[in-house]
Amino acid sequence: MYALEVEHLTVRFPGAERPAVEDVSFSLAPGQIAMVIGPNGSGKTTLLRAILALQPATGTVRVFGLPVRQAYPLIGYVPQHLRFDPSLPMTGREVLHMPLAAMPRAARQARLAWAAATFGLSDFLEQPLGTLSGGQLKRLLLARALLHSPKLLVLDEPEAGVDISGEYTLYQLLERLVEEQQLTVLVSSHELNIVLHVATQVLCLNRRLLGMGPPMQVLTPQALFQLYGPTVAFYRHQHGESP
Amino acid sequence: MIEALSHPFMQRALLSGVLVGIMTSLLGVLVVLRRSAFFGDAIAHASLAGVALGLLLGWHPLLTAAGVGVGISASLHAIERHTRLALDTLLGFVLPFFMAIGVILLSLLPGYQPELVSFLFGSILTVSRTTLALVAAIFVVVLGFLARFYRQLVFATFDEDAAQLSGVHVAAMLTGYHILLALVVIASIRTVGVILVNALLIIPAATAKLLARSLTHLFVLTPLLGTVSIVGGMVASYYLNWPSGPTIVVLSGLLFLAVGAWRWLCRG
Repeated sequence: MYALEVEHLTVRFPGAERPAVEDVSFSLAPGQIAMVIGPNGSGKTTLLRAILALQPATGTVRVFGLPVRQAYPLIGYVPQHLRFDPSLPMTGREVLHMPLAAMPRAARQARLAWAAATFGLSDFLEQPLGTLSGGQLKRLLLARALLHSPKLLVLDEPEAGVDISGEYTLYQLLERLVEEQQLTVLVSSHELNIVLHVATQVLCLNRRLLGMGPPMQVLTPQALFQLYGPTVAFYRHQHGESP
Repeated sequence: MIEALSHPFMQRALLSGVLVGIMTSLLGVLVVLRRSAFFGDAIAHASLAGVALGLLLGWHPLLTAAGVGVGISASLHAIERHTRLALDTLLGFVLPFFMAIGVILLSLLPGYQPELVSFLFGSILTVSRTTLALVAAIFVVVLGFLARFYRQLVFATFDEDAAQLSGVHVAAMLTGYHILLALVVIASIRTVGVILVNALLIIPAATAKLLARSLTHLFVLTPLLGTVSIVGGMVASYYLNWPSGPTIVVLSGLLFLAVGAWRWLCRG
């Protein structure tokens, strides 16, 4: 059974001349880290939101064989940005509590303790959200997305608003969790070097799906030229290769 | 003051003030979190059409206003989704359109309408048994809804997408919240009037936001500040012989300014 099956997914915004995402079909086997790449405006965020049924779309999405809305308990989602009032007196602990409201107290405490230890949240769990750095906020949102032990994790540009060291830590953590928890991950990203090192599958999107496969096969100069145009410079370093 | 409280009208006013103070404050926290301060103002002003219709047809003005307010609130979220117009744009239509209808309907009423002034600027000391019963009923509905759905409402307010993925019925929650807000605004009209009612929603929550260190603090502090403002304002208006609605709002505003100044001095 596939972790994720997407068939003929199309998103058309009212009044727009052409679809934002057009006839996208692909499937992911369990345990894969698939990364969606494409230029700004290529429909990466729209595709992820349509897959999660957060955006009206036509087509079919199944998660572990279930229609996506029925599969919500199997899905964790980290948005690109969280629009909130920075003066809001809401602590990290309160953010983590929200999706666990229906859980018995003991189980909730156990999950919170796991999240604090796994994502290194203890230092800032009681701080208001507005005082957190981009990296701390992303770790908090990643923890929130994984609190209910999902099988499919969807991340929208997790590196947005995070510095280079935070980015590295985030992806290290993600790789470890995929290994430990048998997660399937779908990520949109514009960091091609990260894609090359982390992804097991790459999806090239520019409204339509232009290609899909392992990064070493897909990330060719020709494919990148087709995707991003002539201005993209791409430096690929093999491990152990001298610069 | 003790002697004043022996009068039934003062007892009704005090009870009504405390109930209004608690429920406007609790919903005010959500209004401030959602940054939708214009909503209460628009519904309050639009409810003038309901008040006018009630006076014209001989129906209970507040009940009629409640019908109009709830009708508008219940449809706003659906209209927002279908037209893709921003909520504040829709509210910018609702406020003047329904208020203008209210003014036209009022012009059809014969003679001077003393009751109308109390709807515009509040008159907590004239709260009748019927109005108190209406306020109490709305209080029970609001508290019941918040007790059952408080976490889902806050979740949907903070992050709609994550809330939906967690199984929260976001659209239903937001429609419920808008209906409650309309009911609370209508229940508060006797206390401070159509013109000033938004102050009860916004100022206590804004003051508490300056002090609170967490969402829990915010939800505890805001009703305290709201109740202190209403009861304190009533007492002040009794002794100073000032109009009660504006006195309540001014006291609430002074508390906000004092806390703001204290915060500014502490930081300096």
